[in-house]
Amino acid sequence: MTLTAALPGDLGDLLAPYLTRQRWYAGPDELGPGGVSVLETAELCSTGGGSRHLYLALVEAAGSRYQVLVGERPAGEHPELLQGHGDGIIAGLEDRYLYDATIDAELAKELLPIVTGGAEAATRVRPVGAEQSNTSLVYDDRIILKVFRRLVAGRNPDVAVTTALDRVGFTHIARPRGVWRRGDYDLGFAQEFLAGGSEGWALALTSLRDFYNSGLDDPAAAGGDFSMEARRLGAVTAQLHLAMAEAMGVDHDRLVSGRYAAVVSSVRDRLLGVAADGTLPRRRVEVAAERLDAVSRPGPAIRVHGDFHLGQAMRADGGWYVLDFEGEPARPLEERLEPTSALKDVAGMLRSFDYAARFALQERGTAGTESLAAAGAWASHNGAAFVAGYLDQDGIDSLLPPDVDREAVLAAYELDKALYELGYERSYRPAWEAIPLAALARITDRLAG
Amino acid sequence: MSGPPGGVGITGGDPRWFQHAVFYEILVRGFFDANGDGTGDLRGVTEKLDYLQWLGVDCLWLLPFYQSPLRDGGYDISDFWTILPEYGDLADAVELVEESHRRGIRIIADLVMNHTSDQHPWFLESRQDRTNPKADWYVWGDDDTRYAGARIIFVDTEKSNWTLDPQRGQFYWHRFFSHQPDLNYDNPEVADTMLDVLRYWLDIGLDGFRLDAVPYLFEREGTNGENLPETHEYLKRLRKEVDAVYPGRVLLAEANQWPEDVVAYFGDGDECHMCFHFPVMPRMFMAVRREQRYPVTEILSHTPEIPAGCQWGIFLRNHDELTLEMVSDEERDYMWAEYAKDPRMKRNMGIGRRLMPLVDGDRRVAELLHALLFSFPGSPILYYGDEIGMGDNIYLGDRDGVRTPMQWAPDRNAGFSRADFAQLYLPPLMDPVYGYQAVNVEAQLRNPSSQLHWTRRMLEVRRQHAVLGTGSFEVVSAENPSVLAYVRSSPAAAGGSPVDTVLCVCNLSRFAQPAELPLQRWQGKVPVELLGRVPFPRIGELPYFVTLAPYGFYWFEVTGAP
Repeated sequence: MTLTAALPGDLGDLLAPYLTRQRWYAGPDELGPGGVSVLETAELCSTGGGSRHLYLALVEAAGSRYQVLVGERPAGEHPELLQGHGDGIIAGLEDRYLYDATIDAELAKELLPIVTGGAEAATRVRPVGAEQSNTSLVYDDRIILKVFRRLVAGRNPDVAVTTALDRVGFTHIARPRGVWRRGDYDLGFAQEFLAGGSEGWALALTSLRDFYNSGLDDPAAAGGDFSMEARRLGAVTAQLHLAMAEAMGVDHDRLVSGRYAAVVSSVRDRLLGVAADGTLPRRRVEVAAERLDAVSRPGPAIRVHGDFHLGQAMRADGGWYVLDFEGEPARPLEERLEPTSALKDVAGMLRSFDYAARFALQERGTAGTESLAAAGAWASHNGAAFVAGYLDQDGIDSLLPPDVDREAVLAAYELDKALYELGYERSYRPAWEAIPLAALARITDRLAG
Repeated sequence: MSGPPGGVGITGGDPRWFQHAVFYEILVRGFFDANGDGTGDLRGVTEKLDYLQWLGVDCLWLLPFYQSPLRDGGYDISDFWTILPEYGDLADAVELVEESHRRGIRIIADLVMNHTSDQHPWFLESRQDRTNPKADWYVWGDDDTRYAGARIIFVDTEKSNWTLDPQRGQFYWHRFFSHQPDLNYDNPEVADTMLDVLRYWLDIGLDGFRLDAVPYLFEREGTNGENLPETHEYLKRLRKEVDAVYPGRVLLAEANQWPEDVVAYFGDGDECHMCFHFPVMPRMFMAVRREQRYPVTEILSHTPEIPAGCQWGIFLRNHDELTLEMVSDEERDYMWAEYAKDPRMKRNMGIGRRLMPLVDGDRRVAELLHALLFSFPGSPILYYGDEIGMGDNIYLGDRDGVRTPMQWAPDRNAGFSRADFAQLYLPPLMDPVYGYQAVNVEAQLRNPSSQLHWTRRMLEVRRQHAVLGTGSFEVVSAENPSVLAYVRSSPAAAGGSPVDTVLCVCNLSRFAQPAELPLQRWQGKVPVELLGRVPFPRIGELPYFVTLAPYGFYWFEVTGAP
């Protein structure tokens, strides 16, 4: 890598309009002159006999740090590649133009050897869906490269956890193939691409569409029954937790000495808030909270996935794979790294089953009492299979609270999650608030009953 | 040398013909009755050869046609040298072989190596006492404790693999029914005599054998009695004989085992030419029922490579139950719940149904399953009657429900026989949905949009693409779990001729589905749909987008200049 003077001196100002158009940009809608400061640039490579260039630019805007990969081609060379990628154009200069290099297959292809220190190379590359915090490129259907866009100092949690799990021999992840790091920042992460994989969410919807269409009451009787998959996903989740404990340790004190009580107290306060609207009976909330409080041994804490739902599980020929260990993006980094109960992930997945069932109902445009009962039946049938698969895993008991307290601890995290969902839905999708509300009613009922 | 002994084989053909062949399984008893006695016969098969040639099958597989008391559909052979009189005589067999070959159709026959009927003269002699010349031809024991590690296969009827013979006062060993004693292959006389049996039938021109129940030939203490090294040794000996004297004939092994164990029956290309791939079959049904591809892609990804010159035999249905031995307990419960709703449909470890009733009579599903069968790695084996969508009768005993007479016409006895109805070996189907008035060859021949014509067209297209027989198999990733896409391709020949590539895209769901396929490696090429030869849009830089009708599928050729 060589420092280059080839990028224009006013790159920061040229980048401002481009930046504000990106999904991964988190600042104000407009950035005035000087709003983007360029911290560092480097030429990564050139192709086409030195006429096309790939640059790395690390910039700062509105207090956040970003990685921009700048492509450069001479003016007059009118490649198709910009068609339909208006958002990726940075600037047209007199003699050349600049654009987001991830849309240029020729340049993007060169990234892989750079990121992996020459260990990997590919003949083809294609971009896949843009995420909130990164851009992904797939090479030869074999390797996926995540280019981190919004940079946070220190190890990226996804890189750190995936690498640690790989080190202890946990195979149900996209195995690491290379980490691209510069200074204190992780810039990119190359992993095995799970060719032929589908998101758990898509599989669950396949099952649900079949079930709703069959007119049956019992999801176990439908051809598209998901419970075998749910059970296997439960087993893989338990294996994940055992690997997490092995790779990153077990903390036996944290929950006992206050962290669990803090979760319960926050759950109680928020539940009482909901009860104040009259949406939940106050008495039931109090009884439920007492039940949560009565837990004396909430179990050990481990590093967990933290944002576990059907979209983070991938089904491929080798079974289920777990992806994206960044934790809930909305929470601060320290909180995402904090060890907690393994049941937090179990709760997350149970909530995801509930959402999938209701989402598929919404899709069909039917929401009568009968179909709500069907959705509930699907979620609890598959939730039970998931939990059974989880608890059947040898050794998982050592990471869980004792039997008597298990249900209450799980309920505490389910409530925590559902309350978070309620806040989110009320802010962004009021039509959906019924989903977490129904869950709150059901779980408190279960605890109080 | 003008050909093998007897001079009646198809000479000059490709010795690896079976890698591209479509097989057609015939129950002689149920196919066509030429002499009007109520039972199908060999001459009946000969009379229907023109139909089979028109349909486009390459090789017939005849279920056992040997002398037998018929307590197990002829798999209980009581004389290896004689044709069952109801089926005809040796002259009929020779005529059938010659007439088949004249039409370019090959013919293989079932052969049961593992056991005989308890009515076989060898057994009648063996059971008399412990010293007669055949005393050692079967596996005898003073008690029933040996080989305890061997499982019981017919769990519905058998309690032990040993049965006491009161005459000899000893127990005899049987892996299947108690009326089917296992031959003792440790006795060289038995091993030699069975080789003679093979030679005898190859000499009249048969193109090979389907070897029934091969994993169980030998017994050894402390093992499960399956896939023993001695068994492989013996099969290699058979193969050596075939290669030396009968080149171009084929040995097809029935070993109902996991693919990683079955591959052992290919040896290093020096054992059986073909083996059935059992586990893929129930999983095709499971994939469609669950509307997702993983049951199938999982098993195919666990299927090892096979030696060059070998081939899998794949099928949707056959004369046995839909076997569920090669699925997990959980999956078996699922399959029973989904496909055998009436307990009578359950048989041993499987489901006793024909294809069409299994898919609730949905022709779209039947066609999709056939499209998978014809494009998966292996040579497809059709079961007689499935080309017209015949049904079953689950109220008939044992496995007879799927062995009813072939439905040729809407006439008396389904056009199968001129005998009195009461004389028929089994009644033809007469229900309003699958009965012969509704489902028969004659009507479907007249209707160009019938399942029969569709099947014939598929076989025609398949024949034009050798890559569907021997090409590599690779799944193309689609995010949509209901879409199964895969590529069959063969590498460029040494002379630089173009790569032959067929892309198959299937919708396993009852709903229309989209798929975005990463086909960039063929950028610039134009996929041509094979059934209609319709060119599709050129493959570009972006994922290739297709939409599929419910249970729809495409076969694309992506060969040729960009």
